[in-house]
Amino acid sequence: MKPVCVLRMPRGPDGSSRGFDPTSERYLALCPTTISSSDSAVDSATFVEEQKARTVLRERYIRSLLAMVKKDVHFTMYERVKVNAVFGASDIDILNFQVSDLQTPLGVQKEALIRCPDIISYSFSIDAGLKD
Amino acid sequence: MAMRQTPLTCSGHTRPVVDLAFSGITPYGYFLISACKDGKPMLRQGDTGDWIGTFLGHKGAVWGATLNKEATKAATAAADFTAKVWDAVTGDELLTLAHKHIVKSVNFTQDSGYLLTGGQDKILRIYDLCKPEADPQEISGHTSAIKKALWYSDDKQILSAADDKTVRLWDRASMDVVKTLQFDTSVSSMEYIPDGEILIITYGKTVAFYNALGLDLIKTVDAPAPINSASLHPDKDFFVAGGDDFKLYKYDYNTKEELESYKGHFGPVHCVRFSPDGELYASGSEDGTLRLWQTAVGKTYGLWKCVLPEELVSENSDTLYGSTPEIKA
Repeated sequence: MKPVCVLRMPRGPDGSSRGFDPTSERYLALCPTTISSSDSAVDSATFVEEQKARTVLRERYIRSLLAMVKKDVHFTMYERVKVNAVFGASDIDILNFQVSDLQTPLGVQKEALIRCPDIISYSFSIDAGLKD
Repeated sequence: MAMRQTPLTCSGHTRPVVDLAFSGITPYGYFLISACKDGKPMLRQGDTGDWIGTFLGHKGAVWGATLNKEATKAATAAADFTAKVWDAVTGDELLTLAHKHIVKSVNFTQDSGYLLTGGQDKILRIYDLCKPEADPQEISGHTSAIKKALWYSDDKQILSAADDKTVRLWDRASMDVVKTLQFDTSVSSMEYIPDGEILIITYGKTVAFYNALGLDLIKTVDAPAPINSASLHPDKDFFVAGGDDFKLYKYDYNTKEELESYKGHFGPVHCVRFSPDGELYASGSEDGTLRLWQTAVGKTYGLWKCVLPEELVSENSDTLYGSTPEIKA
């Protein structure tokens, strides 16, 4: 018996991100903004203004991450954990922070990944010197 | 001309796939979610198996996964003692619902307003998704871990299957048991499609069909091997089942005749579901893969292409594949 022909194999995960392509037809149709709007019946002028505000906030946050590189950061986490580490980088979805010299009660971890959902808050001094 | 089935293998998971669910048919097609012991449930396009995204956040094996009808929300049940609700368009985590033990099953009401959960702590919980901080309503009664919990008859009732060898029907308003089905062995799966009039329950090597209205037994069919999951075609002419012998079986629902059986998985089949349009069925296995199988073998649908003999000669051979490359042990 001849096997049924197939156009291609199903596409698998791309390995570099968690997916949910924001340029897909469904995403664009169902999610004009990533955070739910204050009012779904908002008029277009308010919408544009809100979008501008989101852009400013987003850019400010990304710049804050850049400012944090090689600085000593204090993390307050769940389970009453408070640790210090030198910030390296964040992944694209802000799900993991790459840090160095993580000070833990068990000793200093040279390199570590901190899961962002485990973090309650973090702080650092913009004026502090860089830690290489 | 009879053709040989070419299953489409969806890879990506790194551990056994233990549950899967389809959404309804949406303007963007239909979708499939898979629950995996690697803790990373995935969303795929239902008719092609193409990966859309991975829901990241669980810290343990994910035992149950479901989508709402419109595929805008997903819910997952995990070994990290939480059930999570996700935005199925952006992949963002919307809610984490803490439980006291491993959560095994999650199910949305038709309007996606409430989530039903069940798991190892033997208690059914109903969460109002508009008031997630509020305490859930709790229904106790099962004496062993709950395996599956489903909304039933227009969300007015709840059906639950547990390791105590019972399937119980509860009235949502009074939270009392309405009927109990007793079995000699643990129920391995339970499937009910709202709109459908038939409930399927599998246990041992048996696939049993019940009338949804009175929960009366219609018929049972025995398979050659222990069955972990079964699904009835939307038109109720076939059903498929899969279990410990790694094979998928297709039966005629009316005559109970075994029509086809397919080898392909490299481990026990844990779950099998028909797509909402009945054109294909998906199976999840211990081998970490999902496979999509055609209901009508040889039909052009999704990634399958019906090729007439004349076309095979003239087509560019790079664009068509005769069979999926299988790893030979």
